[in-house]
Amino acid sequence: MEETKVVTGAWELSTFKFNIEGRGLQLMLKHMKDRKLMGIKCHQCGTVYLPGPFYCRKCHIRIDEPAEVSDHGQVMTFTIGYADVRGNPLDEPRIAPIVKLDGCDSWIMGVMQGCAPEDVHVGMRVKVHWAEETTGSLQDMQYFVPE
Amino acid sequence: MEKKVAIAGFRIAAAPDLETTRERLVFDLSKGLLDDLGITRDAVDNFVFCSNDFMDGRTISHVFIGPAAGGYMKDQTKVEMDGLNAMIYASMGIISGQYDVTMVVALSLTGSQASPYLYTDYSLDPTYDRQLKLLNELSAAALEARSYLTAGGYPEELLDVVAAQDLKNAAANPGQARRIDGVSRERIKGSPYYYEPLRELHCYPPTDGGCAMLLVSEKKAKELTDKPVWLLGMGRSTDIYYLGDRDLSTSLSAAQAAERAYAMAGIKDPASELDLAEIMSLFAHQEPLLAEAMGLLEKGKAAAAYEAGDTAVEGRMPINPSGGPLGAHPICATGLIRAAEAARQLRGEAGENQVKKAGVALAHGQDGVCAQQSAVVILGT
Ligand SMILES: [Zn+2]
Repeated sequence: MEETKVVTGAWELSTFKFNIEGRGLQLMLKHMKDRKLMGIKCHQCGTVYLPGPFYCRKCHIRIDEPAEVSDHGQVMTFTIGYADVRGNPLDEPRIAPIVKLDGCDSWIMGVMQGCAPEDVHVGMRVKVHWAEETTGSLQDMQYFVPE
Repeated sequence: MEKKVAIAGFRIAAAPDLETTRERLVFDLSKGLLDDLGITRDAVDNFVFCSNDFMDGRTISHVFIGPAAGGYMKDQTKVEMDGLNAMIYASMGIISGQYDVTMVVALSLTGSQASPYLYTDYSLDPTYDRQLKLLNELSAAALEARSYLTAGGYPEELLDVVAAQDLKNAAANPGQARRIDGVSRERIKGSPYYYEPLRELHCYPPTDGGCAMLLVSEKKAKELTDKPVWLLGMGRSTDIYYLGDRDLSTSLSAAQAAERAYAMAGIKDPASELDLAEIMSLFAHQEPLLAEAMGLLEKGKAAAAYEAGDTAVEGRMPINPSGGPLGAHPICATGLIRAAEAARQLRGEAGENQVKKAGVALAHGQDGVCAQQSAVVILGT
């Protein structure tokens, strides 16, 4: 094998800025302060999304009708992770379910507590555990717990 | 489709670490392929590359490899998806009549020069999914695996059964990067969990590698090869990006891409008309999931089919006789390698893994998290 040399390099990712169409996310965050989940419903096909996009992915039209979604739902699938997304080992295994909230068509991902990893199952009923003091941020919805 | 585009030849390279550079890999693959066919770069009029800027660590990365493939002052373009898309795109130039001979080269050095499982973080929506810090390629695949196993009523052990078949085939294929002698279900089940239910040996291995393929018109096929492999049909489909809007227990993109390819190839009953399938399953569960979605296995009957040996090399519906991507996944090249491995079968050159009656084959490629995008080609002799 001919010799190859290694030169390390990096992409400076922090130089990127991302503009977001934030109405659906703002709507959701605003109501989370009151422990409510507000999504957006398509007035044509009735699909409810959370967080709400500015257009319906299926109908390809602009949408803006607020629709409240329950903070209870069921586990559609889950995984138990032993490392974080960058590959660093976790102290404790972490349960990460995808949950279909009642009254919502899109599913939402989160972490789950108050349940042993071996007791989680698809179809299990769960609810949102809200922060003691809500501030209108994604952190208000802390994790899911069994119903 | 009538016989308009043929695969005249191909070269594959794959290893955990090829100890090479991208330029040298491209040169070795394409020069080797031209030598195999007894021609020079003068015979090639179009070059289509397939690589990923992020994983190459520089933008417009194909400009550095064009000349190494022999593309100096020729038409050069790049597809930044899975390589089967590059093959389909290259075929269109031939079908349109603009070109007679096109070289497709797909590659990445994700075994030695990037962190394949983790880069996915950078492909996620930066304003929401990435902020949650819960998703990478492995955790997303694990969610998909659980969803599929639950919907089909399958035990977790199905993953060991699928991986054991693939890794057995991979061990007998010199073109694969991960070759484990005498691999057993027990050894697979004994490998550590990455994200439950996925274990190390249920997941593709980080791989350096690439594939060069020469696509030619009907006229040129007669001149260049005694064993042309014809493109009979092709189809593609793309699902929504957001996992929360998808049914993770199946693959709509694979189902629709296959349906389009079958329609073009005039295939009515894929399970009986196809002699083998090379599927881009990056994780053990994706092989039966995608096979069911594409109508190769009956929904809910995959476990029984694997146990009965239907999907083995000598079975009724051989799936990934090459060993598939659990043996090697050089990102960008993997779908193109599926087509090359299918062509190897159709040419009767697959050695120990040769399927007895190989006349029509399917190759599948995917892109995005959990096969958001699928590409399917049907190949025949
Ligand atoms: Zn709609």
